[in-house]
Amino acid sequence: MKGSRIRMVVATGMSALVLSACGASTGASPVSHQTANVAYAGSLQLLNEGTIGPAFAKTSGYGYLGRGAGSFGLAKEIVAGEISPNVFESIGAAPIAELEPSKTSWYVSFAASPIVVAYNPHTSYAPTLKKISQGKLPISRLFGLLDAKGFLLGRTNPNTDPQGQAFYEMVELAVRRMHLPSSLVTGILGALDNPAEVFSETSLEARLEAGQLDAASAFQSQAIQLHLPYIALPAAINFGNPRLAKDYASARLTLTDGAVVHGVPLLVDATVLGHYDARAADAFVRYQLESLGRRAFIHAGYTVFKPIFVGADVPRSVRNAD
Amino acid sequence: MQTNVHPSIRPATWASWLAVASTIVIWLVLVGPLITLVLKVSPSEIVTALRQPGALSPLGVSVGSALIALLILVLLGTPLAYTLARSPRRGVRWLEAGMLLMLLMPPLVIGLLLVFMLGPLTPLGGLLAHVHLSATNTFFALIVAEVYEAAPYYVLGAQSTFVGLDQGMLDQASLLGDTPRQRFFRISLPLSLPQLTSSLAIAWARAIGAFGAVIIIAYHPYGLPMQVWTTLNEVGLQRALPYALVLLVVSLPFPLLAFFWSRRARR
Repeated sequence: MKGSRIRMVVATGMSALVLSACGASTGASPVSHQTANVAYAGSLQLLNEGTIGPAFAKTSGYGYLGRGAGSFGLAKEIVAGEISPNVFESIGAAPIAELEPSKTSWYVSFAASPIVVAYNPHTSYAPTLKKISQGKLPISRLFGLLDAKGFLLGRTNPNTDPQGQAFYEMVELAVRRMHLPSSLVTGILGALDNPAEVFSETSLEARLEAGQLDAASAFQSQAIQLHLPYIALPAAINFGNPRLAKDYASARLTLTDGAVVHGVPLLVDATVLGHYDARAADAFVRYQLESLGRRAFIHAGYTVFKPIFVGADVPRSVRNAD
Repeated sequence: MQTNVHPSIRPATWASWLAVASTIVIWLVLVGPLITLVLKVSPSEIVTALRQPGALSPLGVSVGSALIALLILVLLGTPLAYTLARSPRRGVRWLEAGMLLMLLMPPLVIGLLLVFMLGPLTPLGGLLAHVHLSATNTFFALIVAEVYEAAPYYVLGAQSTFVGLDQGMLDQASLLGDTPRQRFFRISLPLSLPQLTSSLAIAWARAIGAFGAVIIIAYHPYGLPMQVWTTLNEVGLQRALPYALVLLVVSLPFPLLAFFWSRRARR
């Protein structure tokens, strides 16, 4: 009897050890009903958690579980098996490419999230920024202002964040398209990971709202959802038009690790991963392509367009969305 | 312990087995991530990670900033803890409540509030600028974030140490003519030193591992936790984990020494 007790204790201990050593999966498991377990780019947080997630759960009857973070970071976590969502939504397809071919072979683009320059309405530069946003001053004035000494500009890290990459490339494109002095690029941006203006995605908009920055890079959707005034940029430089993909690609950026990236349209791309709860996952993607989902995206400041499917083996239920 | 219960029931044995089992389970659960980390990271991966250009600077940044944060805590936190423990005044309870509230505050929220308090365009930020300091993306900002994350642990730990002092001994010293200051340095401090060191060790662990407030006000310069985070986002988990192990190896000796010393001193 004593021996069996010891065995019991040892067995309990060992199973705990094995569980913890394996890093027990945190993903939802299909028990009684299916759940769309969605990992999405941090900028989709307000939309997904506030509108689409709850509405999807209500109308479809499937469960919804979401988590937002940087797209590249999420892709890395998925590859490492740290998280196992069944839907992945990123800004730009590059993070999805990291999951191909083992996790998925397709994605759908259906909305765009143009880059804007959001500004704080109470700092000393605000009146000029407002005039630019209203078209009373030319947009080229913006870039002179961003370069001004003492102007506090915030952006995110291009090494880890697609928005950080796009903002950097946007300045590069703007200087070229508007025939501004090329010294403006380094004047405005400095080093890739410039400590004076690079902040975590988490803190950037908070800093702007707190009045600790004059202006910051933002997606148009973020600016609208956070009620921040912003300067819309021409389509030629805002990475929001899928038809200008070729033009955007002329902007290039060398990351700290030596990798070279080219400009891509900032599209919301979604794909289904893995094999569990596939019906719920398909339904979630389909929901966004149909009228209710589209309306939510438009309301949140995205531009939506006819879905573009890329890759092979798109589930029929997703492809047939109207 | 003698019991009159029939030996085949042996409740004491059952209870002690249960205690052993639950101890093992909770220990394994708590230490499990650590075991995973050690199993997942090979020594060669640590060497590779540390050989990356600039890889050693986060180590220096973390150790340097955490040491300065500790120094600040010792100099300012010890008197505060002593006051909290020994002062009979009512107002002191408000000070204590303030510390408890800071302990409850998630570090991320502390970071956001620090932006509002110390950002470059606030009055305090302006004062800092006068002395050429900035609490935004600087070494100073990192120290500030670490002090905020670690202070409640040190102050509240030190406070409970001072509360536990032998009142009779302190009263005797007063009768012999010691001033409060003399009492503190001759009796309170030497008697509390082992426990104070334990509290400081906990504060050290909190400071060197600080992340929530750090990611908001000190994205730069990278200390080890930020290095883990950005490496995870740039190149993935496998390259990020070695830094976590380095963090552990660097921060562990002090708490261990403090732990063994306070154990010995208590005997």
